[in-house]
Amino acid sequence: MTTIRIDRITRTFGTVRAVDDVSLTVDEGKLFTLLGPSGCGKTTLLRMIAGFADVEAGSIWFGDRRIDSLPAHQRNIGMVFQNYAIFPNLTVEGNVAYGLRARKVNPAEIPARVAKALERVRLGGYGPRWPHQLSGGQLQRVAIARVLVIEPAVLLFDEPLSNLDAQLRTQMRVEIRQLQQALGLTAVYVTHDQEEALAISDRIAILRAGKIEQIGSPEEIYQRPQTAFVAEFLGGTNMLPGVAGAFDGQRTEVATCGTSISVPGKVAEAGQKLLLSIRPEALRLAEGSDGPLLQAKLVLREFLGQIQRLHATLPDGTPIRVSALGGHQVGGAAGTALAFAYDPAQIIAYLAP
Amino acid sequence: MKGFRYTVTFGALALLALFLLYPLSLVLNASLRVNGTGAVTLANYLQIFASKYYVNSIGNSMIAAALATVGAALIGTPLAFCLARVDLPGKTVLLTLATLPLVLPSFVAAYALVLLFGHAGIITTGLRAIGIPIGSIYGLTGITIVFSLTLYPYVLMPAMAGFKAIDISIEEAARNLGGSRMHAFRTVLLPVAMPAVLAGALLVFIEALENFGVPVVLAEDRPFLAVDIFKLFAGEADNNPAAAGALSVLLIASTAIVLLVQRRYLNRRRFATNARSIPPLLPLSPGWRAVATAFSWGTVLLSLFPFLAVLFISFLKFRGPVLTWQLGFSNYSLLLAGSYQPLYNTLMLATVTALVATLLGAPIGYIVTRHRGGLSSVLDVIGMVPFAVSGTVLAIGLIIAFNSGFLTLTGGWLILVIAYVVRKLPFSIRSASAIVHQIEPSLEEASINLGVSPFWTFVTMTVPLMASGLVGGMILVWITAASELSSTIVLYTSRWSTMTVRMYQFLEGGEGAGSASAAAAILILFTAGPLLLVHRRLRRQDASML
Repeated sequence: MTTIRIDRITRTFGTVRAVDDVSLTVDEGKLFTLLGPSGCGKTTLLRMIAGFADVEAGSIWFGDRRIDSLPAHQRNIGMVFQNYAIFPNLTVEGNVAYGLRARKVNPAEIPARVAKALERVRLGGYGPRWPHQLSGGQLQRVAIARVLVIEPAVLLFDEPLSNLDAQLRTQMRVEIRQLQQALGLTAVYVTHDQEEALAISDRIAILRAGKIEQIGSPEEIYQRPQTAFVAEFLGGTNMLPGVAGAFDGQRTEVATCGTSISVPGKVAEAGQKLLLSIRPEALRLAEGSDGPLLQAKLVLREFLGQIQRLHATLPDGTPIRVSALGGHQVGGAAGTALAFAYDPAQIIAYLAP
Repeated sequence: MKGFRYTVTFGALALLALFLLYPLSLVLNASLRVNGTGAVTLANYLQIFASKYYVNSIGNSMIAAALATVGAALIGTPLAFCLARVDLPGKTVLLTLATLPLVLPSFVAAYALVLLFGHAGIITTGLRAIGIPIGSIYGLTGITIVFSLTLYPYVLMPAMAGFKAIDISIEEAARNLGGSRMHAFRTVLLPVAMPAVLAGALLVFIEALENFGVPVVLAEDRPFLAVDIFKLFAGEADNNPAAAGALSVLLIASTAIVLLVQRRYLNRRRFATNARSIPPLLPLSPGWRAVATAFSWGTVLLSLFPFLAVLFISFLKFRGPVLTWQLGFSNYSLLLAGSYQPLYNTLMLATVTALVATLLGAPIGYIVTRHRGGLSSVLDVIGMVPFAVSGTVLAIGLIIAFNSGFLTLTGGWLILVIAYVVRKLPFSIRSASAIVHQIEPSLEEASINLGVSPFWTFVTMTVPLMASGLVGGMILVWITAASELSSTIVLYTSRWSTMTVRMYQFLEGGEGAGSASAAAAILILFTAGPLLLVHRRLRRQDASML
């Protein structure tokens, strides 16, 4: 039950600014995700909250208590590590009881609290087992029980699912989300997997080279990316270079890739260079529909079950990806001419750097 | 694949059967018969257990080995932690120096203790002159000190590897859950490294139990197992080969049990935490860093002090057994005036041993690493047997086996080489196996797949890849063979005497303290020199060899 406030913190490694003047607030009971490519500073930021990386400048607050100079073991934070970090010399019970013993909790209380925490992560009865007898998913549950049992002020997750296989990953992220919501814990979650971030978070911060690119809800970040980087990082958009044409009072025509695309509103002065972001699912195969169309040639079709991905080229040869529902039959071999309809409202234009 | 594997496996098993198992079986046989003939009987064993002297002998050896084990663990474990996790000044040098006691002849350290603290020792007489009495270092005290200070690298190396293999996240998890650094060390780091510490400590126990040189120098008239076996077998006064055989069997049984416990224990409890990278150094306050530095450097220098003292004393003049403060080379001229032959013998025997042990050890190490199960496992186990057999006992077995009959070897140089090779074989096998572990099997599979036979793949691709590691192992074998005493003392003849034997003879004679110190100094130079030259290459392997 804590609000985390990070105020202008900085950390450099040599000449690299790993975290560069970052400020953000995590509201009480929310799950906040730090998302970005490797090396963007998200793990460093998390480790600064945990107390494993020194804060060079700035401050970290839990509510109105400043915590950035406390030693790591006095911060009352629960951290779930990427490789689980289960103590191999202790049983499951021993691992879960570790934090309670370190806090000198009355030994009589410990077994009941451990059992309850193990029940919570659906590992009831696993107490006497040794870590090497458990699977990866079970180890991750032990790691979660181990931090839940100390009733931490804040939960931190450092890419907790990256060592699990795909199916278990989606299952565990639902469990983590449900536990976090049920207990109303404030959590900071680090991942480089954008789907995981979208699925699990209340709010997401996209980091790039130590700086925050955008903070927002998953929907905001996905639908209204503020920078070309965010648009490209999240959901693998088609980024097309173009030049702005005249504004007709409603739309701006943008000349791009040997064709022309209309974008709502006045996005730039005529003649300015732009980048257009078109999500693969924003395009759909046109079947005699009116409205603007995009002409393309089919290169390759990948059938992925629920959806199919079409690889096509625009008139000047620029490749473009389109997602269509899997049931929709797309006939024709490579080279077939296709027409895609689009909703101009879903296209976002950025001024080219 | 099979042809090569079977050739190596059967060849190695045949050699080990002939030069290890057959001699040992003869020792066992001798221990079960009175005067070497007659029906099978336990009389020799009963005689030993009825004799207060021999029971004392077994007891003394066990107690000394146990104390040495504790001592080495108490020195080695904190030192390992400091070397693994503290920013010590001159760490590279310190690490090299810390491995030296492992190969320097321990009886030289024992002799140094006598020169310094013995009845007529420099420090004893010095203290006595100003009226401070000093306790005797003979017996358990001195033996425990020497064992602890020379055998601690057996604990240091695996413990250091153990501390380095703990992923930092384990420690961070402990801190995150509310443990202070001390608490995390006590509850997580130490327990996780403990199997490595104990594995090393049990090797200390075995080495201390088998050791002949240290008790022979420091025991005076107190009975010690390894010394008594030698005296019963080779002594003129109380010659009794049957009793020697019985004591030998008891010694082998003890060491074998400890070795089995060690292997079983290791197999059951290995806490791999799969460190992705070596854990970072601890951010210590200047005060604590100074404490760690003083402890680490102090311990290592203390363990090398006896050797340095001998080097220094070897350049002082002796008048009979009495040391003077005049510098000079008289000890060396006296030693070498006799003959250069022992020095030549030492160098020749060590060189042949190193070559043969490596030629045998490399393919065996390769086979036992690449192929598990079946005969390879048998070879793996038998290849480790020499570790449990003391040099004296093996030598006695070799003498009984090859004194006459189809293969007569006694009196020549070959029997010394055989004894050395058999004794150092576990070492060669381990070192080869450690390197093979680092070579991807797919490399060999690719070569075989492209049409090169398994044998030629081994020779033309695997061996060159192993070469740098093999050279390191070979040098370690050379060093330890050059300073071998316990089997040499049984097997040598006057023609094939070595530096270690000369040193032993000078000590036994009592008059040759000067020559003994010169011989000890030469041994130190010939062992420390090559090690320091190749220490970088060796350091990577030391831990894996144990």
